[in-house]
This record gives sequence, C-alpha cells and structure tokens, in this order.
Amino acid sequence: MAFVLTTVVPGDPAVANLGDRASSDPTAVRLYREHFGLDKPLPVQYFVYLGNLLHGDLGESEQSRRAVCIDLAGYIPATAELAITSMVLALLLGVTLGVIAALRRNRLTDQVIRVVSLGGMSTPQFWLALVALYVFFYKLNWVPGAGRLDAIVLPPPHVTGLFSIDALAAGQLDVFLNTVQHLILPACVLAAFNMGLFTRFTRSAVLEVLENDYVRTARAKGLPEATVVFRHVLRAASPPIVTVVGLAFGNVMTGTVLVENIFSWPGIGQYSYRSATGLDLTAIVGVMLFVAIVYILVNMVVDILYAVIDPRVGLA
Amino acid sequence: MVGLVVVAAWLLVALLAPWLAPHDPLAQGSNLYQAPSATHLLGTDELGRDVFSRVLWGARISIPLAMLLVVLAFLIGGTLGGLAGYLGGWVDELVMRGADFVFAVPTILLAMAVVAALGPGLFHAVLAVVLVSWPGHARVVRGLVRTIMQSEYVAVGRLLGSPTHRALAVDVLPNIAGPVSVLAALETGNAILLLSALSFLGLGARPPDPEWGSMVSTGAQHFEAWWIGVFPGIAIVSIVLAFNFLGDSLRDAFDPKTIIKARGA
Repeated sequence: MAFVLTTVVPGDPAVANLGDRASSDPTAVRLYREHFGLDKPLPVQYFVYLGNLLHGDLGESEQSRRAVCIDLAGYIPATAELAITSMVLALLLGVTLGVIAALRRNRLTDQVIRVVSLGGMSTPQFWLALVALYVFFYKLNWVPGAGRLDAIVLPPPHVTGLFSIDALAAGQLDVFLNTVQHLILPACVLAAFNMGLFTRFTRSAVLEVLENDYVRTARAKGLPEATVVFRHVLRAASPPIVTVVGLAFGNVMTGTVLVENIFSWPGIGQYSYRSATGLDLTAIVGVMLFVAIVYILVNMVVDILYAVIDPRVGLA
Repeated sequence: MVGLVVVAAWLLVALLAPWLAPHDPLAQGSNLYQAPSATHLLGTDELGRDVFSRVLWGARISIPLAMLLVVLAFLIGGTLGGLAGYLGGWVDELVMRGADFVFAVPTILLAMAVVAALGPGLFHAVLAVVLVSWPGHARVVRGLVRTIMQSEYVAVGRLLGSPTHRALAVDVLPNIAGPVSVLAALETGNAILLLSALSFLGLGARPPDPEWGSMVSTGAQHFEAWWIGVFPGIAIVSIVLAFNFLGDSLRDAFDPKTIIKARGA
C-alpha cells in the first residue's frame, strides 16, 4: 500500500533531484531512470522492491545515493535517544499528575491538572519547540541550541549510538553532561503531548479502581495512603495506562518530525522531512515501513506486558 | 462551557474578520519588525504587515478547513465503518486492515508522503489529513453499529417485522450521534494541529496566506521579533484547547455513567 501511494504520483523524482539539469540534459534523465529502475513498468518495479524487501533491502535513496538501510541505521540512534527520553519523562510526569488528579477529584488541583494536560495535548509541538528555544536558549542561555553535541565536543566512541550511554560507558563525564544538556529541551517539548495523554488515562483508570471495595477495605485496615495507592490502586490501574504507551509511540514519531527539524537533531524525523520535500520516494517508503514495524513491535510488547500485569489475560 | 464560548468566539472572528481586522492582512507597510503597540496591537512582521489582522484572518483559513475535513473524514470513515460493522465478513476485514495500516504509520509521515507526492498546497494538505483521519471515525462507528445491532431492542424491532433500514435510521443513527459529536469536536482540534504543522513545514499554505502554521514558521526565522511567531501559536492553542474542552463536556453530557454519578447515585 505504501508503495502504491508513493509511485502513483504526478511529481517526477528525476526532475526533482536533477534540478535544472533535467530540462537541459535528457540523457541525464534517462541514465537516472535506468539507475533506479524507474524505466521499468510499475508491476516489475513493485516485485523487484518486494524481492529486495524480503532480504531486508529497502532500496537506494535517490537523494543521498546510499542504501536506505544504511541511512536509517545512521539516524535511528539519535531518534531513539530522543524518543525514549521523552517517553520516560512523559510517563513519570503523566502518571504522577494523573494519580494526584484522581485523588483530588473535582477539587482545584484536579481542575488545574486538567487544564495542564489538555493544554499539553492542544499545543502545536513546533510552536512549543520554538518558544522553548527562544526562552531557554536565546534569552536565558540555560541550554545549548541545536544539535546533539556542542560543535567542539567529539562524539563518544560508537557502541549503541545513544550518545548518553556511549559516553557513560567510555567514562567521558563531560561528553555525557553535554549530551544531556542538548537532550533535555527537545525531550521535554516532545513529552508535552504524551504527558497530557498519560495524565488523562491515568486519572480515569485510577478513579475507576478507587471505587472498588478492596480499596475501602485497605484504607479501613489503616494502611498508609502511600501503600494503598502504590500497591492496590496503581497496580490495578496499570493495564489501561500500558495500552496508551503503544498509542503514545505514534505521537512521539509524529513529534520527532517537527521537533528534530527545529532542533537540527540528526534523526529519522529530519531525514523523512528532507526525503518528503525532495520527493525521495524510496527513502520515505523505507521510513514508513521501518516505523510501522517498530509500531507493531511496541504494541506486541504492550500486549505481553498486559498479560504480565493482569493475570486474567492469557498469552494465547 | 468555556470551550463552547471560545469556539463560538473564534467562529465569529472567522466570520467577521474583514470588519474586525484593523489592517489589510496582506498590505505591506514601511514599519518592519515593530513591537506590539497601540497602532499595531501585536506588532508587524518582516514585511510590515499587521500581525493582529493576520491572526484574525488566519481563523478564516484554519477553522473552516478543519471543520470541512472532519466532515469529509466522517463521511468516508463513518460510511466505511458503518458498512464494516453492519455487513461484517470480508468487508469488515478489508476496511479494518486498511485502518490498521493508517494507524501503524505516524500521521504526519503519511500526510507528508501524500503532500510530497501531490505537491505542496493547502488543498493537498487537507486531502492528506482526510486520508490519515478517516480510520478514527471508521473504528468508532463500526464499534457502535456492532453493539447496537446486537442489542435487544433491535432484535425486538426485527421480530415485529420492521425492515433493516428502519432499524438503522431509528435505532442506530440516534445512538451514534452522541459519541460521534464528541469525536468530531476532538478531531477538529487535531485537524487544526496537523494542518498547521504541515503548513509550518512548508507543505500546506504558502507564505503570503495568513495561515497560522506558516506564520509561526516565518517567526522562526526572525527570533528577535518574537511577536511574529508567538501570537499565531497562541491562536492555535486557544482554538484547539477550546475544541478539546468542548469534546470533554460533550462526552460528560452523553456518557450515562457520568450522569448517574452527577446525581449522586
């Protein structure tokens, strides 16, 4: 489906990538088409693509002239570092706020949290990113600007590609700190939307659990409130929250396209944007396939977690 | 209530922008990069255009387009979802697998691919957003139709000999109206976000148009004149937040559980 979508288009990638040369030099266009197999009929192109896909070949990017797989491998760690950090932030904040809101139901705290969480889900991420850059970088100069590291800092030796972990593993504390400084602002911006999502789902899940008799019993036994919340309530409320994590992954990927562009973060968000504007169809389809596979994997993990948390759900 | 008031206010602004706006949103002046003042409430941009007037005119682009595309997405998604829920079988399979595919790819990636394929422009951006948002409607309508068709009152109606189209019109339609209106409010907010994001990336509205997303993108290139990008952003936040609040109150109104709780039962 992704293939059909991107091949049946009026835009001619040969013209887009060769620019002025396309109109002045017809041989260049012909050679270009032959190189990428664009001169063959569509069904042939499709089966060639499928065949390559079977052994993990996503084709060659028309812009960077490298295999899409190699391009992706270079950009994935940057996005992974950003996405994971933002997910952790969003989960921590969202679940905490959600629990507080549920315990203070219909009071002022609840109302304030409701506005904050809805606000997080209503703010365009590109705008939030710019405002954050303006305030914390341009005005206050608390954080460094764009990129993953300062220009003078060398990246740590490549192990995982996640700079923070690589730097720690190599014992380079200064590089680690620099990475974190660069990471914190885009991660927070990216977390805003999902924070709101987690808060709302946690609140309603916790509210439902709080109505149960066993919570009243636990309280009547004189258990400290913290024990009641963490042992009895949060555990029973976690399945719906875990389910949202799968959903939230899609939001993070959408967010990275915008946030990576603004923070010049060399990840797949920026790669896909450049591919889209350059009509680099192979690259776009490659990114879409990769993200879809990760999405399915994430949701599989969520389903498994679901069974671990809730013994009533079988793995079958 | 707050949501409804703000949405209504923005709709009025969209309707009356030509009379409300103090300046022509496209007229370039000699006063470039002016900070907010009495003559230019929200300042002027890099071409000396009045930011306040442009923000007001922006309502005429984003809000009607978002509503139009939610209607389109509902017509497509609702019909497909309704058919899937009613007919079941391979129709159901086909529609839901299509929906799964769209769900598996992040909205903006798919929308970007569509816009890149068709060429940038506001109309193509709207098409792209419709393409990525129909599955949400399809899923909701399918679920509702399935539950309602299995309910006892539909079975009773059938026993009494009423034809299927009567069951659909009398039993099913009124019962899906509530949840669908909740979804429509929330989706309108999301549609505004996605449309403005595409415009921000330069794939939607083109520069001279006073579209909020592309205005923020202009602001990004002129950091020292913060008012160029900040105010259109606030406009987006306020309208999307209002639609989300509206959706929330509609949900409370339609959900029988909350009604019982409100009565103290």
